[in-house]
Amino acid sequence: MALIKEKVGIVSCSGEEIPEGTISRIATRLVLEKLRPYETVTICLPLFLAGGEGERTFAKLFPTITLDGCEKRCAEIGTSKYSGKPFATIVITDILKQCPVVNLKSRDEPSVDEFKFAEKVAKEIAKKVDEALGRQEDTNQK
Amino acid sequence: MVERKKVVVVACAGMDKPLGSVTRASVFKVVEDLRPNNVELVCLPPLLAGVGSYSELISNLPVITVDGCAERCATKLIVKNSGKIRGRIFVPDSTKKHNLLPESASCLGLNGEKLAEIIAGEIASIVDRLIQGYDRIG
Repeated sequence: MALIKEKVGIVSCSGEEIPEGTISRIATRLVLEKLRPYETVTICLPLFLAGGEGERTFAKLFPTITLDGCEKRCAEIGTSKYSGKPFATIVITDILKQCPVVNLKSRDEPSVDEFKFAEKVAKEIAKKVDEALGRQEDTNQK
Repeated sequence: MVERKKVVVVACAGMDKPLGSVTRASVFKVVEDLRPNNVELVCLPPLLAGVGSYSELISNLPVITVDGCAERCATKLIVKNSGKIRGRIFVPDSTKKHNLLPESASCLGLNGEKLAEIIAGEIASIVDRLIQGYDRIG
């Protein structure tokens, strides 16, 4: 099945158990609201996994980027299982390994450093969005 | 072995609607501030994706579900996974009841924060009732 390259679906873990889930949530909202607002939509992971037909159909037709907070990779596993292989997969803990000074602590009220880290993750997602849409560089808005 | 005198709380935490953010904020207030010793927070995606080991928890402990929209994913999925639901909060009803709406999914604003606090209090009350039930049973 050919993918429609107009929009990209971000399937984000919204995990409540660990701070990485909060980072994934913030990063996704930054992409949706600031970095790539016209090119991205979010797919509600609980609804997607619960059998939401709209969510699953969208993820079959459009490229998806999964964003997972931890190694359980719920978003990636769920997307692969119900709609097909994601265009790209991002795991927060992998990015965290590149930033050893960042110490994630809060699930509820992220610190300035945690928010900066979320911005870094958001930029990684935006890069993958551009790749999914066949863009070489950011020719888009901020 | 599941620890007694605990209650499981499961929130939808949906990304695409502001009320999903309210559910998330309210359960954090319960787990971190109001009833930290009596609540187990179960993350919905691992349960649904089949990558977590929560089935024992939700089948042995009473569960409170907090849903952010009419899809009621948290409730449906706990039922589907044979969980014992003993309390339910439907956040859209709470917004009407208290006439409070969050600003957006990323920023709850004052009204959204207030709503989350009220819902957290309601969840804590259900937790207390369920814990008292444990005491009565002995």
